[in-house]
Amino acid sequence: MSKNVSTMKIKPLISIVNNNTVLIDATNNAGNTLQIQKYIWTLADKLKRNFECIDLVPAMNTLTLYFDALIIDDECINAISYICNNTTAGNFTSRKHIIETHYNGEDIDTVAKYHNMSVETLIKVHSNAIYHVLFLGFQPGFAYLHGLCPSIHTPRRSEPRLKVPKGAIAIGATQTGIYPADSPGGWHIIAHTTSSLFDITNDARPCLFEPGDTIQFKPIGLNDKEQL
Amino acid sequence: MIEIIKPGILLTVQDAGRNGYRHLGVSKAGCLDPIAQKVANKLIGNNENAAVLELSYGLAQIKFHAQTVIALTGADLGAKLDSSPIYHGWNYEINKGQTLTFASSKNGLTAYIAIQGGLCVQPVMGSAATDLTANFGGFKGRSLNAGDKLLINNTQHSEFIKMGAVLLNSRNHIRLHPSIHHKILGDELINQFIDSTYTMSEHSNRMGARLSTDVEGRLAHKHSLKSLAVAPGSIQLPPNGKPIILLNDCQTTGGYPLLGTVIAADIHYFAQIKPSDTISFEYVDLNQSKQALLEQRAYLAKLTYAINNKN
Repeated sequence: MSKNVSTMKIKPLISIVNNNTVLIDATNNAGNTLQIQKYIWTLADKLKRNFECIDLVPAMNTLTLYFDALIIDDECINAISYICNNTTAGNFTSRKHIIETHYNGEDIDTVAKYHNMSVETLIKVHSNAIYHVLFLGFQPGFAYLHGLCPSIHTPRRSEPRLKVPKGAIAIGATQTGIYPADSPGGWHIIAHTTSSLFDITNDARPCLFEPGDTIQFKPIGLNDKEQL
Repeated sequence: MIEIIKPGILLTVQDAGRNGYRHLGVSKAGCLDPIAQKVANKLIGNNENAAVLELSYGLAQIKFHAQTVIALTGADLGAKLDSSPIYHGWNYEINKGQTLTFASSKNGLTAYIAIQGGLCVQPVMGSAATDLTANFGGFKGRSLNAGDKLLINNTQHSEFIKMGAVLLNSRNHIRLHPSIHHKILGDELINQFIDSTYTMSEHSNRMGARLSTDVEGRLAHKHSLKSLAVAPGSIQLPPNGKPIILLNDCQTTGGYPLLGTVIAADIHYFAQIKPSDTISFEYVDLNQSKQALLEQRAYLAKLTYAINNKN
């Protein structure tokens, strides 16, 4: 049985990046990526309640706080350290998303063939997993997901596409993701969704996903000849 | 209303940029030189964050379809109002039908045109800034084209008072906070970086100022890091050894090691550093960077005081 996350002590490294930015780095702590990331999400929630940050940005096992200029001093760093050292991965706000998925992507046959599996098996493996939104980046609403089964890890395309359409669900190396807008991309497109991931007109909540959320892909239209 | 006759190389609607959404992958965008933007707005009585036009390299032409007041700041791009030269750092009354024309760069790169009342665009996530990569904000989420017509916010017309401002000098010696990846990169590489001079590459854009140097071979490396948050001012070192200073349109996360962070008071200088200009760096401590920022704020405060007492 794996070590219980909630009892695992994490001691991150805290660095002052500039007069208004602090980096909390937990990359060198024991534990797997997801365990450490749960600590990062919990910490983000806690810090949000204690400090007025302009932005609070989780990335891979790190958290960066952007303050209004000039407030960082020893007292502020001490307070951040105290919170970091007295937080264990636990309660963080998160939502569950079920994404209706048409497994009719342009590269689905290529990916199935690469793994010597049927398209049906590939769909089963991809849609059975629960994925965690580790963090967002690359473009507005693009979620870096954790949880792709190693049996379907696939090297990126040798030639990136100039345009991957909005809603494309793709696999690139050890990751899977959904493109929230048209963009260039080198991942294999295995499916499409019509779910809207990013709405610029919604100031309060423009993005469907937040760091810490979970996602499941629900295959639809599998018996519809047009879809497959 | 104003009409774009010629957009030049790059003409966009910008304000101070977008904050509060970086954890969702949303870039800052906004004016590369927010000091120039603020000064331009102050010279015509606007809110200092009112949306302005940002022009890179010049060669643009803008026609005014209504009487208004404007101010020019940033680079001297050889501006003329109809056939008369006008000067950056000053405000001007504009009559209906007049045309503002920019030649090319004499000194610097980026000019700002503030118009009384501010440009009227729908804010997106709290900002009028154009995000050229994600295609939202500003005017239709893109740079301006010939034929575009932009509305100006209504304003109460007060008596025109001619005013000019002393603009900040440009600076090519840039002050940095030390690298958070010093241990990973090692003393030798860091010393090599800080002791070398660089040339601004023509491949620079609003996402990043790309540098070239004779010593890139000695800055090359094979480190790959887990993604961490980056922001305008972060200096990335890709494996090829050519540093990139991230600017307003940069992504929110990145996996290259960082050579340092440009201090808040100096980042705006990149708006005026042209391709083939020379750049050098020095590391400073938190007190020095704080002092530099306070001096910049004092400059703006004095200017505001002087303007308010002229009205």
